Amino acid sequence: MFAGTVLYALINSVILLLMAIGFNLTFGISGVSNFAYGALYIMAAFATWMLMNLVGLPYFLSAILSILFTALVGALMYRFIIMRVRGQVLSEVIATFGIGLAILEFFRYLGFVGIEYSLPVFLDHSFIIAGTYVDMQRILIVVSSVVLILLLWLFIHHTSIGLAFRGIAQDERTALTFGMDSDYIAMLSVSIGAGLAAIAATVIVPLGTISVGEGYEVLLNALAVCIIGGLGSTGGVIVASLFVGFAQRFTDTYIGSHWTMIVSLVAILLVLVIKPSGLYGKQKELEERI
Amino acid sequence: MQKRKERIDRGIKVRSEDIFALCSWKEMLYLSGPRLLPLIAFALLPLVLGTYWQRVLLSVAVFGLLAISWDILAQSGMVSLGQALFFGTGAYCSGVLNHYWHLPPMVTIPAAAVVGGVICTLLLLPVLRLRGIYFAMVTLIIPLMLVRIVEATKVFGGTEGLSGLTPLPSHWIELYVSLAALLGALFGFRRVMSSDYGLVLKGINDNDRSVMNAGINIYWFKAQALFLSSAVGAFAGALMTHVYMFVGMPVFALDYSILPIAAVVVGGHGSLAGAALGAFILVPLSEALRALGGLRIVFYGVFLVVFIVALPEGIFHFVTRKYHQFERWVEVEK
Amino acid sequence: MKKHLGASGLLFSLLVLCTVFAGGVYGAGPIVIGVPTSTGFVEGKEGLAIVHMAVEEINGKGGVQVGSERRMLAVESIDIRDAAPGVPVPEALLGIEKIILEKKPTALVIGPFRSEALLAGMDIIAKYKVPMIGTIAMTPASEEKIKSDPDKYKYIFRTCLNAKYLVTYLVGVMAFVNKEFGFDKVYIMNQDVAWARATADLITKNYFNKTGWTVVGHEAYPTGTSDFSSALMKIRSGGAQVILPIFDMPQSGILVKQWNSMRVPAMLAGFISPLAGPGAWKTFDQKIGGAVNVNFELGSAIASQKVPKSVDFFASYEKKFGKPMEAGHGPAPTYESVYILAEAIERAGSLDPDAIAAEIKKTDRIGVMGRIRFDDGHQAVFGMDPNEAAVACVFQWSEQGDRINVFPQSIADGKITLPSGLKSAK
Repeated sequence: MFAGTVLYALINSVILLLMAIGFNLTFGISGVSNFAYGALYIMAAFATWMLMNLVGLPYFLSAILSILFTALVGALMYRFIIMRVRGQVLSEVIATFGIGLAILEFFRYLGFVGIEYSLPVFLDHSFIIAGTYVDMQRILIVVSSVVLILLLWLFIHHTSIGLAFRGIAQDERTALTFGMDSDYIAMLSVSIGAGLAAIAATVIVPLGTISVGEGYEVLLNALAVCIIGGLGSTGGVIVASLFVGFAQRFTDTYIGSHWTMIVSLVAILLVLVIKPSGLYGKQKELEERI
Repeated sequence: MQKRKERIDRGIKVRSEDIFALCSWKEMLYLSGPRLLPLIAFALLPLVLGTYWQRVLLSVAVFGLLAISWDILAQSGMVSLGQALFFGTGAYCSGVLNHYWHLPPMVTIPAAAVVGGVICTLLLLPVLRLRGIYFAMVTLIIPLMLVRIVEATKVFGGTEGLSGLTPLPSHWIELYVSLAALLGALFGFRRVMSSDYGLVLKGINDNDRSVMNAGINIYWFKAQALFLSSAVGAFAGALMTHVYMFVGMPVFALDYSILPIAAVVVGGHGSLAGAALGAFILVPLSEALRALGGLRIVFYGVFLVVFIVALPEGIFHFVTRKYHQFERWVEVEK
Repeated sequence: MKKHLGASGLLFSLLVLCTVFAGGVYGAGPIVIGVPTSTGFVEGKEGLAIVHMAVEEINGKGGVQVGSERRMLAVESIDIRDAAPGVPVPEALLGIEKIILEKKPTALVIGPFRSEALLAGMDIIAKYKVPMIGTIAMTPASEEKIKSDPDKYKYIFRTCLNAKYLVTYLVGVMAFVNKEFGFDKVYIMNQDVAWARATADLITKNYFNKTGWTVVGHEAYPTGTSDFSSALMKIRSGGAQVILPIFDMPQSGILVKQWNSMRVPAMLAGFISPLAGPGAWKTFDQKIGGAVNVNFELGSAIASQKVPKSVDFFASYEKKFGKPMEAGHGPAPTYESVYILAEAIERAGSLDPDAIAAEIKKTDRIGVMGRIRFDDGHQAVFGMDPNEAAVACVFQWSEQGDRINVFPQSIADGKITLPSGLKSAK
């Protein structure tokens, strides 16, 4: 059972990582708060479901369309709302959280609650690894996160747009003098972050049902992983997701399922008290504490 | 001929600025009107409204207190995303005191306010040094954690909570006590914030390092602001417990953290009256929209966004400006 | 300052207007039945639809005879949102108060989902003296409260089953698999809410511990849990042959999905709300063959040929709404409650709440779920024979997608069979 727990802990960590990637890109790397992240995740899942069940498109086409749609919504959200409160962190947080709340509760109002709201898995097959059954969908999640992390790393370290993302977070005025249109770059970052959320939703949601409450959980998990790992550092996010994922699974198996959620929350608290910039974050000593 | 818009003080404001206000009833009314209006309104409204809307007025008072507590913290430089922590601690304190030791509400409510304040301050002491969004994050996390801990350890009634607590003697007392508390907090803390003590707090908000340079121990002041704010929040929680005769895990719900922020956003931060005004607008509005069911929260979110983007200063500042100043077009002098 | 007065004057008049409208017009209009429940969840949504259906049927036959005049029934509903775990109980209570004060219903049906909302709401209902027939919240604590102060709480009844009766049906199932297949190792998984905990504790204390069963493990999951893999691994390594799930949250469907994909060699026998209705076969890709589910009342998404009224009820719902009902808890008692209410009003001859409450207590009616009578705790009595008491219905999904009633004997069409892939321990 130990091997099984380790295996599922690994998969849990990868799921957390996948959830956190998009959030890390917008909040950590580009410095734009997007607290509607969970709502966009759920919206993507519902969009795929609606395209599949109400319009009748095949699964892959629905998934791709909903990813593009979510990215578009992210861009529009930036252009019309976040841009006007850019720079004041609290206002950004409140505004995006308000949008997220509106989207999630709108779905709840439409009655999208229940087991029939779930997405199909890609392939229904199970493998035995180290004495435990693991299904195909979970393996697919691991594969896709590895690919996404690699692509992301290449993107922000080796392409000019990726470097621009980091530039506007580091010092916006200097970035402007270099000719980077910070509004446009920020819009791209929110949009790509939303698209990543949609990809995460497409892969993770088939494991269970699409439930509106999960929107808040996703936001909290992504926030936890990003803070513990350090905002802006991809390596930190990986380590943090491993840490939280393992802690959650092992508490669930050996201590009790109630304490699972507490573990991640306590982890955030400890990190915030001891080293607010996270494990791998750049120590912004003066900015974070007095 | 080019024109520009000019904003100048109204005549009556200038005339009532100094001791000359005493020379005419009109000037005295101009100054005292805004202060007397909430007093009279809150005194008379309960007599006019039906039972259900009286309940709503009680909610207004409770959320107004929560919004005022948020604003006190915000004016001292600490933004909290977790008023539910203060609310829930106060609620549980009074619930526990009443359930296990059978103390009457007259004792438990003030006791819960003080004890709740102390507990919250102690909880947040280790993170007082954090600034900005990190402090906000901690305040967001702690109530969520407390919910899970209560659920897991099943203390204080666990998931069912404690029910059957003693209610207040009559519903008129409930209503008037809560309204009196709201008005007391509003005017009292306005006095505090405009005094020298409040000046130090506002200074910490502006630039904490320069306040440190002046030789003032900002941690002590921050802790005091935290205590004041959490005592007010705990009072609100204790009141709510005795009105509904029930306390349970839902007192730490996200609702109680979001609504004060929304109220301050709508009403205007920086002055406690804006917070109270925001609560006075939002709570009845959301009750009136209850017929729409789930769509109510959607309106909340949209409302929040619209106000943050379009009217960031809030309604209170807007109204104040109109009250004190007027605008006119004048020619541009060459 | 003028603007200030104008704005506040407007607000004043708005508030006054609201009060006036809240007062409402009261005359020889229809009898209002209030439905305060979580209409966003399937049990609440279908319940409300069924109240409408029952009211239409009664109105179609001429309405209700109150004394010397016939009056029609009308339905007013409000969503109190209490089923979602994060919603504060005062919010639900405010919703109940609002519908009582604004719509002035003669009685309430369905009621809150969560036990704490019900327990706290009982005080409000006793204060306003409005009879309420609950059909969803199942905690036995409400009966204790009624018995502790019968005169204050005499307005509150419950037609659905409670945790204690649920245990008797589950015990019947467990006894059967123990006798037939020699199973004696069970793993209990329940939702961390009052009724599910009470059910798990009662069945462990009164049955498993006394009959030599081994309880391999017992886990309580907070509402909203979406990953059951560790428990499933423990089941496999502990060698449990039976899994006893007690869930009514929609996420419990994930347990079924994971049970399937992890190929756990154990039998699912308990209550998982997504498995209750006929649509589950398609939702779970036809992989639920062999699972045993207890629908809390006969008629809630399952019918038996031996009780023709349940078949008619099932068919008329499908005919009216175009798709079969899916909730395994709530539909049948809701339907019956409307009829019980109508009959009680007719017997009482007036709309006086004390008279109606007294008549409801004397109910003895044969309906969709068997025979309904109330005991001292104002709980409908459940048993094993539909001619004597109300019955729940335990069924098993066959490998072909049909549901076969297996318990109690009086309405069974077959016996519990071993799911494919499992071997008997005899």
